[in-house]
Amino acid sequence: MMNDFSSRMALYWPALIQGALTTLWLCAIGMLLGFVLGVLIHLLANGRSRAGVAFTRVYVSFFRGTPMLAQLLLLFYLPSALGLDIPPMVAAAVALALNTAAYQSQILSSGFAAIAKGQMEAASVFALGKYNTLVHIQLPQVLRLTSPALISELIDVIKVSAVVSVISITDLMRVSQQLVSQTYRPLEVYLVAGLFYLLLTSVLSVLGGLLERRWQERS
Amino acid sequence: MQELMSYLPEFANALLVTLGVSLAAAFIGLTLGFALNAARIAIPGFALIYSLYVWLIRGTPFLAQLAVIYFGLPVIGLRLEAVEASILSLALYSGAYFAELFRSAWASVPHGQVEAARVHGISRVRVFWHVQAPQAMAFALPLLGNQVILTIKESAVTSIITVPELTMTAGRIVSTTFSYVMPYALLVLSYWLLTSSVAAIARALGQRMTRHLRG
Repeated sequence: MMNDFSSRMALYWPALIQGALTTLWLCAIGMLLGFVLGVLIHLLANGRSRAGVAFTRVYVSFFRGTPMLAQLLLLFYLPSALGLDIPPMVAAAVALALNTAAYQSQILSSGFAAIAKGQMEAASVFALGKYNTLVHIQLPQVLRLTSPALISELIDVIKVSAVVSVISITDLMRVSQQLVSQTYRPLEVYLVAGLFYLLLTSVLSVLGGLLERRWQERS
Repeated sequence: MQELMSYLPEFANALLVTLGVSLAAAFIGLTLGFALNAARIAIPGFALIYSLYVWLIRGTPFLAQLAVIYFGLPVIGLRLEAVEASILSLALYSGAYFAELFRSAWASVPHGQVEAARVHGISRVRVFWHVQAPQAMAFALPLLGNQVILTIKESAVTSIITVPELTMTAGRIVSTTFSYVMPYALLVLSYWLLTSSVAAIARALGQRMTRHLRG
């Protein structure tokens, strides 16, 4: 019996690793794209354009107020209704990015707010320009300040990414569904898949804790 | 337009299913979360079980939990209907988040108050209910709405196991009418309306219940 289980594990293992890599890869892209979008949303929300400010309010409220699954379906099927076929992988990455951007913009604004005003004044005295100030002065500090919160957002992205399995992306969740239809052992397979997710999120959570402690020691 | 009218009643029904499933689950989850926090305070050694539970639930996707309960439990002889499995998993899921909310609410009450009350011979049960709970609940109330919203959003996942709620119904309308834009647009708008209303209600309730704190 024990031997039986280990031989089944040998069957699950490679498939689940493959699925976990897809999940990680997808989440990394979604997270990075979402970061760029999140910075843009933050800038727009603090810009002079009234329409821009109103847009960011609606954007953040919409993406935080609706389920990821509904956003994904809308994003996947809307373009195809307009005669534009986008690959599931692209739809999934974009949907994750649009979703996490709403959350990241909120995290980032607390980071931006924490930077001393004098730095911005100094930068403008040196005629550094808005872009250079953003990239070389603000963003490095914002990243460091918000890294624990960003990591916990990445954990949320990994968890929420399980729904991309419905548009047939072979992520960790989809791979485990396939294994179930091969082996008819749903309890075992889904529990092992859950352990895989738990491993991913726990490693990240430990990493976030370490970063936070290091940051506190320095300041 | 006529097409929209043809499936609008079905949509309204599905909205009620989403609301029913989420609110039932949130209510059970709230009770579970409260009980978990109370047990953590009252029973020595329960803190370990508490942390384990929160770690397991918050470290895995809701879809994986739902799959274990709906597809996995029949293996050991526990077969649940889709709606039952959904309410149970959503309740277990939101319970962990509610528990953490109550834990931080209880932590917001200065410990010196508890010590002072205990020194005066007030029992631990009464300290819990009459010293900690009133202050902690004032802290927790405005935040409870967020957890309800989280539960509503997560309930969309139950469409995967064919609960006839909003997302499932939108998908079915799409597959019979072959129009994608309207049903899915209606879908996200319904959720948006639902979560915005819950947020507004929670804000109003929170302000009402904590009026005494603002003088």
